[in-house]
Amino acid sequence: MSDKPAATVAPQTAQARTPRSGGAWALLVSELTVLFRRRRTWALLLALAAVPVLIAVAVRLSSQEPTPGRGPPFLDQVTQNGLFVAVTGLIVSIPLFLPLTVGVVAGDTIAGEAGLGTLRYLLVAPAGRVRLLVVKYVGAAVFCLAATLTVVTAGVLAGLALFPVGPLTLLSGDTISLGESFLRALLIAGYVTVSLLGLSAIGLFFSTLTVVPVGAMAATIVLSVVAQVLDSLPQLDWLHPWLFSHYWLDFADLLRQPVDLSSFGANALLQGGYLLVFGALAYGRFVTKDILS
Amino acid sequence: MSRTWLKWMPAVAVPAVIVAGVLAVPLQAGAAVDLPDKSPQDVLELAAGSTVDTFSGTIEQSSELGLPEIPSTGDAATAEFADALDLLTGSRTVRVYQNGADQSRVQVQDTMSERNLIRNGSDVWLYDSADNTAVHTTLPADAAPTDGAEKDGASYTPSELAQTFLDEVTPSTDVSLAENTQVAGRTAYELVLTPDSSDTLVGSVSIAVDSETGLPLRVQVAAQDATDPAISVAFTALTLEAPPGDLFAFTPPAGATVSEETLPTKDGVGHSEADPSGVTVIGTGWDAVVALPAGEDAAALAELTASPLYTQVTDAVDGGRALSTTLVSVLITDDGRVFAGSVPVERLLAAATQE
Repeated sequence: MSDKPAATVAPQTAQARTPRSGGAWALLVSELTVLFRRRRTWALLLALAAVPVLIAVAVRLSSQEPTPGRGPPFLDQVTQNGLFVAVTGLIVSIPLFLPLTVGVVAGDTIAGEAGLGTLRYLLVAPAGRVRLLVVKYVGAAVFCLAATLTVVTAGVLAGLALFPVGPLTLLSGDTISLGESFLRALLIAGYVTVSLLGLSAIGLFFSTLTVVPVGAMAATIVLSVVAQVLDSLPQLDWLHPWLFSHYWLDFADLLRQPVDLSSFGANALLQGGYLLVFGALAYGRFVTKDILS
Repeated sequence: MSRTWLKWMPAVAVPAVIVAGVLAVPLQAGAAVDLPDKSPQDVLELAAGSTVDTFSGTIEQSSELGLPEIPSTGDAATAEFADALDLLTGSRTVRVYQNGADQSRVQVQDTMSERNLIRNGSDVWLYDSADNTAVHTTLPADAAPTDGAEKDGASYTPSELAQTFLDEVTPSTDVSLAENTQVAGRTAYELVLTPDSSDTLVGSVSIAVDSETGLPLRVQVAAQDATDPAISVAFTALTLEAPPGDLFAFTPPAGATVSEETLPTKDGVGHSEADPSGVTVIGTGWDAVVALPAGEDAAALAELTASPLYTQVTDAVDGGRALSTTLVSVLITDDGRVFAGSVPVERLLAAATQE
């Protein structure tokens, strides 16, 4: 009886440290455990959660009503329905904060292990490299989902706490019930998560190029900013549909009635393309690379 | 060495496959469409006889009029003017739902907002989510918005209507059929109207007519000597099923600014902003010029000319400033007269001096 707690703790730590024992699943579990045990991951998620909370508090404390057409979209709706805190939070986070955090996690995937000198221990198995690459990418993708859900959840909670929450008014002027509103919020979270998958693949590729994780992180974040700058130049409109950031803010289509899923599809297709291209590049680089650390 | 090369293969093959796929899709869409042969008269009859009044569709509208692109930033006055210009330069997506003759909903999708026009029987709602305003109007019982066309249409058979149209346009226009095409996944005949006059800026107008129902699926206007259309309005998706009925039942959302507007008397509809008596048309056909005497809407004109963007998009010409696009030219003379037409600026200048 007394040694039971010890027995349950021991395999967990053993799994976390020796990932090969249980195949790909065990490796993934250990990767996620390591990722979500890091203080840095929690700091990133906390910073993201602060965005909608700050917006909600600022609007709540401000004496003047937000006027339509000024500030981020939907800001004027926040006082009428707290659920819009989540939407405004996402709109504010998408251009910089979300790519920043995703860039940090995705850029760290391979280069972080190389920098710590732990990469070669993860690659003892002969078929280990592809599996490690996939596991690292899935870990980054799970972080994308966690990051988006953090913003949405913090936004909904802050909205519930500070503003009246009721049936939601869509862009089309129709009103939907509270239950359907949460469904739409989840759909938007899914959209934004999918939006970040391409950037994660780019980060993974950069991460295989270097042993300095900061370099890969910075390159990923800079590229996400460059893509958005290019997307705002009308002279380059032939390029726009090919930029991974092109559909990032189009999740507003999910707030129309009837719901417009065409941009969701176009976005998923584009992100899938980026995932395939940069996944293939990362594969080419990683399996031919001499692992020295 | 060869093994290293093999491992880089996916990195080369995946982009190649994607590029091939991207190139193959438009090729497939442009593949020859086999339809029974028809004359332009037959296609006009088909279009005139179209009885489709129940559908849901998405319309893509784009304009490439050769105006300078203006980033949508800056102060409110600039933004307002840029918004107006955006109608001429940008592209937009519009969803249309139509159920019978008296239920319709048009949704103009903007990036983070939407404008809705909902008609349910005699109730008409206009809702703009950008400033959360709703305007309600009640239509008079007997006035359908398209009454003119409908009443004319009722007294003609489709073939008569087609013949009338042909008689009207053939003196100045060459009507022909282009290769059959595909729009929104439906096969279509393409009518091409080419102006005989070389004075006009319009090169051709093409109208794609659904081969099955006669519904116009796409209208494109191309400038003289241009290959790409300057204006294109086309369905990108279309279903001929009845849209859900609750789409047409609109109640303004809580918190919206609701205003009631009464329609001007029946004669005034459509001419509310300018007294038509002052407008003169110089010439006929494609190279006609519309002239607006000084004093009409002077306040609006002054507001327009005060905008800093006005000088950016117009060129100084003899005796005024001219806005020239690939399809339309507008001349605003220094004494406040306005000339517009689908003709080069020189012709407008000539008209202005003759007046």
